[in-house]
Amino acid sequence: MTENGKSPSDIVFAHPSEEEFARILDFYQVPWEYEPTTFELRWDEEGNVLEAFSPDFYLPGQDLYIELTTMEQRLITKKHRKLRRLRELYPDINIKLLNRSDFKQMMFKYGLDDHESLIGQQAGSKGPEKPPDDK
Amino acid sequence: MDSTLPLPWPGDDIGPIVLTEEQIQQRIAELGANISRDYAGKDLLVIGVLKGVFVFIADLLRAMTIPVTVDFLAISRYGPTEQTHGVVNLTKDLDEPLTGRHVLFIEDIIETGFTTHFIMRTLRLRQPESLNVCLLLNRITRRRIIDIEPAYVGFEIPDYYVVGYGLDSKERYRNLPYIAKFEPNKR
Repeated sequence: MTENGKSPSDIVFAHPSEEEFARILDFYQVPWEYEPTTFELRWDEEGNVLEAFSPDFYLPGQDLYIELTTMEQRLITKKHRKLRRLRELYPDINIKLLNRSDFKQMMFKYGLDDHESLIGQQAGSKGPEKPPDDK
Repeated sequence: MDSTLPLPWPGDDIGPIVLTEEQIQQRIAELGANISRDYAGKDLLVIGVLKGVFVFIADLLRAMTIPVTVDFLAISRYGPTEQTHGVVNLTKDLDEPLTGRHVLFIEDIIETGFTTHFIMRTLRLRQPESLNVCLLLNRITRRRIIDIEPAYVGFEIPDYYVVGYGLDSKERYRNLPYIAKFEPNKR
């Protein structure tokens, strides 16, 4: 549950995997916030923001941001670049990327054999994965 | 009983052995000696969470040379059904009081850290004199969300799904005397 008392059903998640992850955090009573912070990454000469990044979760108890992506490995280059930029500009931020493989392993551990429905279709087909440029 | 009888495994899902029975027992002897030294003269209560740790805790206790009390708890697990969602709770509570005692929580394996974090928080609320973790397998994984710092670690293993020596897959393989890689898609 978030610190202001919201549960996963109160929040519109961008992807089913995020909602499942929020349920797991709730189950183990780990406080979380959903996309609470947007980090500016690039600006034009006039100071307008050209690029920003909003990690999916923030765990205040661990002071840790978590970005969850179920994109296939070959498609997450842009996300990796953003993470590198984030770490350069905000070196004190703790952030962890959980990728498709990590999420599948977690779902397997919890016996969620139908995890493909949470992850989405393979790249190139219509699936629920967020577009890579969404943040 | 003839100890040379073949085991009814490996099954089709069992991959290479990660830790042999001999490696496990040798390390447990070392852990037992270290724990006995560190807790000498103290009121030590060893706690395990069912079920994965029961084999490890049985061997570890017998490797200790100091008086020790043992207790177990069990918790609900997150799962695929609505009934296994909600909030984690104790399905079996401890029988022993913790107040003022030296508690060593025995854990089999840590992945995300969620379970251990919940249990440590629960135990800490009961005001033990000290609270430490003894971990059999420290799995080096990117999925570690909550850092846990065990006082004692048996082995570090790569990011494998493993079974045996108390660890299961859908309740199978707990009685393997070794720890092996689990390969469900091997067939």
